[in-house]
Amino acid sequence: MTTTLATGAVTRRRPASRAGTAVTRPGFAWALPATVFFVLFAIVPLVLVAVLSFTRWNGLGSPEFAGFDNWNRLFDDPVMVKSLWLSLLLTLLGVAVQTPISILLGVWAAGHQRNRAVLSAIYFVPLLLSATAVSVLWRALLDPNFGIPAEAGWLFGDGNLFGSQSGAIGVLVVVGAWQFTPFHTLIYQGAARAVPPVLYQAAAIDGAGTVRQFFHITLPQLRNAIITSVILMVVGGLTTFDTVLILTQGGPGTDTTISAYYMYQKAFKGFDFGTGSAVALLLVLVATVISLAVVRLSGYDRMRSTSEGL
Amino acid sequence: MRSHTRLSRSLAAGSAAVVLGITLTACGSGSGSSGDSGSGEIHVLVYGDATNKVEKQIVDTFNKTSKVKAVLDTIPGADYQQKLQTIINTKQAPDIFFNWGGGSIKPFVDAGLLMPLDDMIAKDPGLKANFLSSVFDTAVVDGKAYGVPMRGTQPVLLFSNTKVLADAGVAAPKTFDELLAAVQTLKSKGVTPIALGGGDQWPTLMWFEYLYDRVAGPDLFKKALGGDKAAWASEDSKKALGMLKQLIDAGAFGTNFDSVKFTDGGSPALLARGKAAFELMGSWEYSTQQDANPDFTKSSLGYGSFPTVTGGKGDPKNVVGNTNNFYSVLKKTKHPEAVAEFLKLQYSDEFVQGQLAIGNLPTTSNTPKYLSSAANPAYSAFQFDLVKAAPSFQLSWDQAYPPAAITPIHQAVQQFFNGQIDENGFIKAMQALPNS
Amino acid sequence: MRRRPNVLAGFGSLVWLFVVGLPLYTMLAATLQSRSDYAASGPLGLPRHLTLQNYLDDLQGGFGQYFLNTVIVTVSVVAVVLLVVPPLSYAIVRSRGRTTDLVFRLFLLGLAIPAQAVIVPMFYVISKAGLYDNLIGVILPTAAFSLPVCTLVLTGVMRDITPELYEAMAMDGAPPWRVFVQLVLPLSKGGLSTITVFSALQAWNGFLFPLVLTQSDETKVITLGLYDFQTQYGINVPGLLAAVVLSMIPILLVYLFARRALVQGLMGVGGK
Repeated sequence: MTTTLATGAVTRRRPASRAGTAVTRPGFAWALPATVFFVLFAIVPLVLVAVLSFTRWNGLGSPEFAGFDNWNRLFDDPVMVKSLWLSLLLTLLGVAVQTPISILLGVWAAGHQRNRAVLSAIYFVPLLLSATAVSVLWRALLDPNFGIPAEAGWLFGDGNLFGSQSGAIGVLVVVGAWQFTPFHTLIYQGAARAVPPVLYQAAAIDGAGTVRQFFHITLPQLRNAIITSVILMVVGGLTTFDTVLILTQGGPGTDTTISAYYMYQKAFKGFDFGTGSAVALLLVLVATVISLAVVRLSGYDRMRSTSEGL
Repeated sequence: MRSHTRLSRSLAAGSAAVVLGITLTACGSGSGSSGDSGSGEIHVLVYGDATNKVEKQIVDTFNKTSKVKAVLDTIPGADYQQKLQTIINTKQAPDIFFNWGGGSIKPFVDAGLLMPLDDMIAKDPGLKANFLSSVFDTAVVDGKAYGVPMRGTQPVLLFSNTKVLADAGVAAPKTFDELLAAVQTLKSKGVTPIALGGGDQWPTLMWFEYLYDRVAGPDLFKKALGGDKAAWASEDSKKALGMLKQLIDAGAFGTNFDSVKFTDGGSPALLARGKAAFELMGSWEYSTQQDANPDFTKSSLGYGSFPTVTGGKGDPKNVVGNTNNFYSVLKKTKHPEAVAEFLKLQYSDEFVQGQLAIGNLPTTSNTPKYLSSAANPAYSAFQFDLVKAAPSFQLSWDQAYPPAAITPIHQAVQQFFNGQIDENGFIKAMQALPNS
Repeated sequence: MRRRPNVLAGFGSLVWLFVVGLPLYTMLAATLQSRSDYAASGPLGLPRHLTLQNYLDDLQGGFGQYFLNTVIVTVSVVAVVLLVVPPLSYAIVRSRGRTTDLVFRLFLLGLAIPAQAVIVPMFYVISKAGLYDNLIGVILPTAAFSLPVCTLVLTGVMRDITPELYEAMAMDGAPPWRVFVQLVLPLSKGGLSTITVFSALQAWNGFLFPLVLTQSDETKVITLGLYDFQTQYGINVPGLLAAVVLSMIPILLVYLFARRALVQGLMGVGGK
């Protein structure tokens, strides 16, 4: 089998192949173990969360039915509404910052030079750090008196990064990018290596430069990788909370209280599991709608038809 | 193509073997560890941190003589209260657990989970009489005792860099006005007058606690905690807030305090390196400085009580802070006698010596005997006398209120300090706090 | 083929090296100093007196056990994921039943569930199953929460297998399991490496599930052990970071050795 044939399938739509050949397909049994497992440890707890969202419960006695109380209060709660916007904003900024960086790095790292291999290994390291370590490190680095801001006063002023909303959001975006870009870089690196060299050879013959090759060949060829990566960033962005927990604690005030952190605050700091569960469910709904939208818009779900139709 | 097939086949086979093997190992290592309290064990749950070794030592001592064995479990610090609340009403609940008294155990008392210790105290009066009463009272809820002190007392003190003060020609301020004057002088010398770890939020709260106590006396907060919302809107309350505002506006804390934390060493470093002159902090500042800046600690770390406020209603000898940590007991423990024996060890000579050795200051009546063996006898004696002489020892607000109030309190103090809310905004936020 | 060296790209990669490297330098420098030296030199300073004491202290402080627990959890999670996700993805991509369609949607929904949202019910599920304070009780939910992303990645890869290849297999009359073993798995090598890395990282850095679902020292994992460097009111920064470095080493080694396979695998369909 030739490389061209196999890799060309990555993105090129092909017409439905001729019908008629009987292909035996896997039955539902193949999906059963994973499904049962997932239902047991993710869906069942989620259903319980849905039930809890209609109760009053501090975790000690038994939950009392409270009807729509929690929900009604949430819709009137300015912090809740603000937190949803903040979640969306942080997610968007995350995608906007990380996508270009990781595409460029991924494409660059896809080259076979030795120095690229060494650098890629270093780039990978942030991914290995736990959230605690990341926050301790960055807090130290961003200390207004002894860290980077103290050395670069022209850029940071008095260095009160955590004292203003824009500063705190900036920190969250930068630290998030620092931590998660390596993973997305890996995705793009793999995808970029799979681009058939003949495409570049053809372009080179036409006299296209590196930049044109990047926009006309590499980028279109990375389509699947981009979709996968963006979906992961979106759901990851909407559900992250540990960076917020450790870096800003939702502050100053409630200026970085994103929904996932607000839920944590309600449930585990305020021990109001009813409201916490309602926030959680709301977040799940929003994230689902958004990821489904991304899947739809990008045609990710229709992609199955490209390989179907036998 | 072929090589791929072989590779994935062996991969699949390998992973199957691994999962079997690992599952078995995990079974083996897991099953031995989870003992239930019926098998002659009492589980002691403590806040997991670097000072657990005394708790381990006391458990070992207990197990030498007791038939019922004590097992020490730890929960990693920051998430202690969260985890505790999750398990306390399940069969995984411990028999004895670490807490901060006050609001941290009130919800458990209300839910009927805790055992009043009054019967135990009746049998062994030492369980109460051997502790300083201002400390012991923190774990008294609705007139019943629910906790026995188990680590050290941690009053909040005004620390200073004596070298910076001397260079600026400033004496340790005895009154609030002297403090304000010192702020002006220090600022003109280019020093941040007061180091504040505003990023942690609770260090900011300490300023409220002391000024409210000095201006209004401990009763205002007691009333507010009891549900009297008018207390927050009172003249005294506004006066205290006004004085705080005065300090902030005078630039006492600099401008970037919200980006500084105490917990990662940021604000202690400001003090130690002479970039700031004062820091209001719990007594643990001393051991923190000793670990991080030993030379500074020896040469120029000063400490004293909070300045008085002229015309204030609070006794200048009052202190605020963490009175102590406590052991409380679950009602459903199967071994109350063993528990009582275990609690008695919390005023034993061994306990006191162990705590003093790691820099904690126990609040037992036999503590003075061993003060000379403390890491820094003069410092320990100063604190002990301060706490003993204090007419009132106000527990930190965020621990006096039930846990549900912690986040709103922290948000309000941070917003008041950075100007996002004014006096009225703060009063409103405090009035909205849940009381129980 | 040869391309002319790209100065811009080289410069960009150096900028990123700086962005990534500075915090890592701070980390390494901190771990090689005593706590007081670190406090004196600050996060950006040059270490004056180098010492390995932080590492020695960590190694003597019971880290071995935590380490072993983390390895057990990680290997098991990866194993579970590798056992159930490939058949699932195969079914999603190749089966035409409505049920598998629903299953796929279910897993898409799962993408959006934050683990901390379900932690309370999870505690009751695990505790009812008698798995509290048992590593299995950590492994199962951690694996379950890795499934959606892994499934998404792997179905993406499997979709790219061309219909012609299935047809060829079908002409030989191959049953689904043979198609799976001989065609799908080998051609999904890239996806398999990705989900291995992803689930391993999830397990290695997992904090919330171990926190709530274990209690004793025997079941403690490294992420929880890191808290031994904190007190109620402060952190021993060099000690903590030394523990972090120690905990990174094994997975970094695995990465370095498996790097070639990983990136090669990630090249998607076909390979070379």
